[in-house]
Amino acid sequence: MTISYNLYSILKSRIGNGSTDLVTRQSGGVIRGIIESDLIKEQEGSIVALDFSGIGIVDYSCADEIVAKLVSRLLSGEYGDKYIMLTGLNENQRENIEVALERKDLAVMAEMRDNNKTLLGNLNNYLRETLQLIINNGKITAKDLSEAMGLESNTSGTRLLNLHKKRLVIRRDETRSGGKVWAYEPL
Amino acid sequence: MLTSLSDETFEQFLLQASVHTSIDLRNISFIDPFGMVGILETGRYYKSINADRTLLLPTSEHVLKYLERMDFFKHCKQYFSVQSSSTATSDMYFRKKYSDVLLEITPIEKSEDIHYIVSKVKQRAHNILSKHLHYDDSAINGFIVSLSEVCQNIIEHSENTGFVGIQKYHFQKYKKNVVKIAVMDLGIGFSGSLSDRVSLVGDLEAIEMALLKGVSRHSDEGRGHGLAAVRKFVHNWNGKMSIRSGTAKLSIIPSWSWGKSREPDLTRFPGAQINIMLPEV
Repeated sequence: MTISYNLYSILKSRIGNGSTDLVTRQSGGVIRGIIESDLIKEQEGSIVALDFSGIGIVDYSCADEIVAKLVSRLLSGEYGDKYIMLTGLNENQRENIEVALERKDLAVMAEMRDNNKTLLGNLNNYLRETLQLIINNGKITAKDLSEAMGLESNTSGTRLLNLHKKRLVIRRDETRSGGKVWAYEPL
Repeated sequence: MLTSLSDETFEQFLLQASVHTSIDLRNISFIDPFGMVGILETGRYYKSINADRTLLLPTSEHVLKYLERMDFFKHCKQYFSVQSSSTATSDMYFRKKYSDVLLEITPIEKSEDIHYIVSKVKQRAHNILSKHLHYDDSAINGFIVSLSEVCQNIIEHSENTGFVGIQKYHFQKYKKNVVKIAVMDLGIGFSGSLSDRVSLVGDLEAIEMALLKGVSRHSDEGRGHGLAAVRKFVHNWNGKMSIRSGTAKLSIIPSWSWGKSREPDLTRFPGAQINIMLPEV
């Protein structure tokens, strides 16, 4: 289930100065606090989409305080089994958020304003390739990946698990040919 | 006698302010945002140590009009006794609908002030940054983000408050438009900010560590990027940037400009004084 958090609404309600811009570390901390208090209450397995479509400027400090810290804490398990993605981004916002993520060696999935899905931040090339394959196929298992990329089954399984640990793909169990397998899907 | 007041003549101005109770600006024929913000911070500093200064205002009506357009008088009376030889008062100056002012002198005291600054500059960016510097949307975004980061340094690091001002000029010598940004505070300065984390030799080294190496007073990952990003933006757009703090000044100078890149042993002044100059492309 994907739940959208409208960042402009949060900004408007809590900062209350008419600004449409996510600037300053202090404001970022306030916004993150609100997101965290809701995020923790969402059902396990939920995908939370942070919607930037009503937002203007995003500076590096605010990007670090909101996006990089949320992703970092998500990966450490602070919010449980949830996923975070970014939506409604423009190119300028993307650039500044990407810098904040790269500095912490993090990555997050994003959907741009033109609906194009992309990865922001750092991810090694073979995981990027695998992620792209999952996006293209819609769903993949370790066996599918081995066949598509000519990999050992252990290698495929590790790659998929690593992408899941980075919360970049969803993992579900499925029954295929009478046995249970993990299937991985894009956010 | 000072005839211009900018980052290039700020040392002379500080020396004058340190020995005379009256600061004589009567012969000033040119002043930029760094000069104006520098006057205010100097007055604020001397007031804070109970050594009030008197300001003898420029006689040039052109300069007075400019000071008025930049809201200089709105702030200056808090810090100085003002003496003017002009018969005009600030109310008499007609504020043109079109102005080269990108941001009047604005106090930076809290996070909300930066939201205000960003909104104000966004509103005026097209008229000045697109039209006169030929910046595209991405460059304007970089400009505003850099401005936000450089102003945030005051809130995050100075333990004090400050001012910012931005103005567009036409640079006669190079037949180019430039935008000048000045940001200053009266806080603990770069060496004071970094002293808990690293052992420093002096002010120049502290500025270098913050600007060139991204060292921050905060040890958590993701900090210290703001100023480094500002430096990158200024470099990418062929601009000039200088940071003065304590007794030192470090400048990043593009090939079209001039000056010394490292200046130690200057007149001690608290806080940080940042000057950014961006030319048209």
